[in-house]
Amino acid sequence: MPADKGLRLVSPAFEAEALASLDSLYRAALRLTRSSADAEDLVQETYLKAFRAADRFEPGTNLRAWLFTILHNTARNRARDRARDAVAIDSDFVDRAADAPPPAGRAAGAGETPETLLLRETLAPDLQAAIDELPDAFRQAVWLRDVEEFSYAEIASMLSIPVGTVMSRISRGRRLLFDKLKAMRPVNA
Amino acid sequence: MHNCHSIDPLVTPFVDGQLTGADAQAVEEHLRLCAPCHSRVTAERAVHDLMRAQHSGLCQAQAPDALHLRCASFAARNSQPATNVAEPRTVNPEPRIPNPQSQVPSTWPVRFAPYALAASLVGVVGGAFLYQATDKSARVLAAELIADHTKCFAMNSALGTHQPAAAVEQTMASGFDWRMHLPENASTAGLELVGARPCLYGEGRVAHIMYRHDGHPVSLFMLPHTERAQALVEVLGHEAAIWCANKRTFVLVAREPRRDVERMAAFVQAALH
Repeated sequence: MPADKGLRLVSPAFEAEALASLDSLYRAALRLTRSSADAEDLVQETYLKAFRAADRFEPGTNLRAWLFTILHNTARNRARDRARDAVAIDSDFVDRAADAPPPAGRAAGAGETPETLLLRETLAPDLQAAIDELPDAFRQAVWLRDVEEFSYAEIASMLSIPVGTVMSRISRGRRLLFDKLKAMRPVNA
Repeated sequence: MHNCHSIDPLVTPFVDGQLTGADAQAVEEHLRLCAPCHSRVTAERAVHDLMRAQHSGLCQAQAPDALHLRCASFAARNSQPATNVAEPRTVNPEPRIPNPQSQVPSTWPVRFAPYALAASLVGVVGGAFLYQATDKSARVLAAELIADHTKCFAMNSALGTHQPAAAVEQTMASGFDWRMHLPENASTAGLELVGARPCLYGEGRVAHIMYRHDGHPVSLFMLPHTERAQALVEVLGHEAAIWCANKRTFVLVAREPRRDVERMAAFVQAALH
């Protein structure tokens, strides 16, 4: 065994690049936990692990994706520690929700479709609230794809699920989001 | 013709604009004939477009400054000596971190001490910040130095370093060509000398002299060949007093009441003249 096994030496370049992702990790943690205190705790633990395991990061690969992987692993381990299998529960819920007919939307005005109204009228806070109402599994997938713009393969690695499941969750998550936003529209829209 | 089932796995990449050639054509043909799939794709595309349009609004939340500092301090605990920066890291093709520890350590592992000492001697790189004193505001300068203040005292707590005044003066003379004498009566201002570190930043070196005031960390930074306006700013829960003398900028940083920081800064300013 090498004498320095266990040492995690962090280069300045690694540190700077890793810390540059802190805000986006924090936002993802907020979506995961829906609590600023829990999000801070999650991000803190993520960086602690990342810097300790810096020698296991392969230079030239995507450091940001690596950090998000640690973040999601940590969140998953915490969920397990609490004896809650959030993903399984969410999947069941969403399977039912996605197959159910969408809530009755209000009639669109002349010349406008529900889709154009959605684009015109939805503001970021409403969109954020609707995202936060999505079940965990679909909220994660949609956020990682549409906000953080990770590839399907990267998301699959982060969430430890097949690429096909990633695409399915993104698809269902978007449909659920559409239905939620449509239901939130004001009467005279 | 493709049926709905065979089209299903293509819908998400189609909405994301990642489908080309025959696959994209197959989806388009199917959508022209299948109203339910057309409706589904329209809804998914609307959300996709909305997320893109509201991207900046969704990314407004920022991590608290204190969290930035805490995470940066984790890197400081694991910093490698600056002389080794160019050496490649050990490669591990598996990015997963199995069963990592979840608790933040309260003390720095003793085995890191020699590396940290080496790092402190050659200069601890400030991390995420690039240092350009002439271009940045007093608050940004203070924030950068506060991060260093936090790191260096975290290291010092682990190492228990305590340097006499003569050693600090020698470090300043050899490292910064700054032949100075520390105030002999610092204790009258409630200051106890801890030691010094020459710290490296992206654009140069700063001298870092560490004191304690009533047991609390106090840092005096000296930026050579730099002139800035006098200021007293509050950043990240710390007070930073900035002044200039003989083409050197001094910044005194402490998490102490403003009047105490002003008093300490006045004392040091007078003593170093």
